[in-house]
Amino acid sequence: MNAPFSPQGRNPFDDPLDRILAEIALSAQLPPSLHGKAGGRYGAARAHLEADPAFKDQIEHFYPQGSMAIDATISSRGTDDEYDLDIVSQLGGRFRQMDPLAILLALERALKNYPVQKVVRQTRCVTLYYADRMHLDITPALRAYGTLDRESYITHAKGPTNSTDDRFVDMNAFGFVEWYRGRTPLEYRMAKAFHDHWLNLEASGLRADAEVDDVPDQCEFIVKNTATLALQLVKRFRNIRYATYRGRTPPSVMLSYYAGTAAKPDSTLSEMVIRIANWIIGDIEQASRCGQKLHVANPVCADDVFTDRWPETIGQQDEFAGYLKELVAGLEGVKRGDLAADRLMDWLRSRFGDRVVTKAADRMANEIGAGVQSADQRYTRKGGLLLPTAGIVGVAATPSIARAQPHSFYGVRI
Amino acid sequence: MPEHALTIEEQRAAMNSIWPSFSIHRLNRQTQSAYWTGEVRPQFGRFRIEIRYRLGDVPHARVLRPALIRLPGNIEGQLPHVYPPADDPTLCLFDPATNQWDPSMTIATTTVPWACDWIACYELWLMTGRWTGGGRHGSAVPGLSALA
Repeated sequence: MNAPFSPQGRNPFDDPLDRILAEIALSAQLPPSLHGKAGGRYGAARAHLEADPAFKDQIEHFYPQGSMAIDATISSRGTDDEYDLDIVSQLGGRFRQMDPLAILLALERALKNYPVQKVVRQTRCVTLYYADRMHLDITPALRAYGTLDRESYITHAKGPTNSTDDRFVDMNAFGFVEWYRGRTPLEYRMAKAFHDHWLNLEASGLRADAEVDDVPDQCEFIVKNTATLALQLVKRFRNIRYATYRGRTPPSVMLSYYAGTAAKPDSTLSEMVIRIANWIIGDIEQASRCGQKLHVANPVCADDVFTDRWPETIGQQDEFAGYLKELVAGLEGVKRGDLAADRLMDWLRSRFGDRVVTKAADRMANEIGAGVQSADQRYTRKGGLLLPTAGIVGVAATPSIARAQPHSFYGVRI
Repeated sequence: MPEHALTIEEQRAAMNSIWPSFSIHRLNRQTQSAYWTGEVRPQFGRFRIEIRYRLGDVPHARVLRPALIRLPGNIEGQLPHVYPPADDPTLCLFDPATNQWDPSMTIATTTVPWACDWIACYELWLMTGRWTGGGRHGSAVPGLSALA
């Protein structure tokens, strides 16, 4: 019997464009130290709520949703080091008799003295703001019985008083996560390469900062496939493109849906970003041709509409499609070798953010420079640079790969 | 010159084997000289390079295109690790004070990958302003004779 097909994925550090894109994603995503902290904070928040008489024995489930649940957390819009994490608190018992605003107010009251910098009630959740710039959104939900597992109603109420706009909104975040995971299986080679690089960076960062706690013991791969890494980049691109916008932007959950839909194992990272972007562009153009707004729903819950608050107009969706087209054209140009390195940096900075791209390029320069100095580099017959981490069997056994003998640059200053 | 210095034919054979896309020009068995041109793409850009060699001299590598970008005011100079003239520089790929190159070595395993190293460092220098490939700058150009 044949073994089942198991995609290995592509090492993002084997290709120059993928390498810098992966470094950008690394710089934008939740670092390992905070990843470990987030898990602890979920548990602590639940314990705090359960100690409150109003919530005692009323919490049926407490689970991550959104980016944290699919390993796609990146810094929030307009920042390089703030992270929004989401928890669903599925409530039962007496909460089923309460209206949306009453539930949100009860949650806000129970968390009022929680030891964070501030606690803010939002339209659909209560947000805990931590001193290290992590934000934890706790969304109360009521299970919709007789439906798929964990399909729920979440609260929508602006407050502070009841309004005719208050309502419960259908959602199945849990089911969506299961759907996404099914569409984006582990790509072992890719995940291992990225994970090793990630932990090395964290370790070197910690060595430079003695005030930070120990490196977390990361036994599991955080980013498991190229589609999720590409999703982080598309989200980062969205954050930078809309950094100065007021109001709503293309929602992350909608971008996650497209990453899951477009996922194709063993793609390169740049191919995957282009594929996700083109999928969104295609759907937007189709909707706009029909004079309609883009409609994207949770694939496991038709009433859970991801585009219920964006786009507000056809013009907004066309604008986003335009941005994505420009991203695709730029990436394809870089793949062809159209941009000189200095122009490439300008292009990357304006799409993914100055600080993040600068950090990514600095790390690449350090790594490749060290490889040159230690003569660890290899080159393909077309002169393509292969890092020591690339899957090279052996130079002698691989005539298509050339290795440089040790040397040191000289010259005069001209 | 070492007794085991490679002939220009041996250099050509090594180049054909490792860098088959490079073309050889003006092979002269009498003067044991030739030059090669070819395109490499270590990272982002495509670079057409030329390597001129005559037995008894060191290989001379230049970037034919694209035109190399200068960063005036950079701590490494406006273009690091090259020999003048400024408007048509030669890449300086090894330190003449060391024994990193001699005629028993193949250009294919030294000069070409070293030029690729230089280009990789050059691109990263354009991106970051830092030359991370190491090396040193001297105060004078050593006595290198140009290939006629």
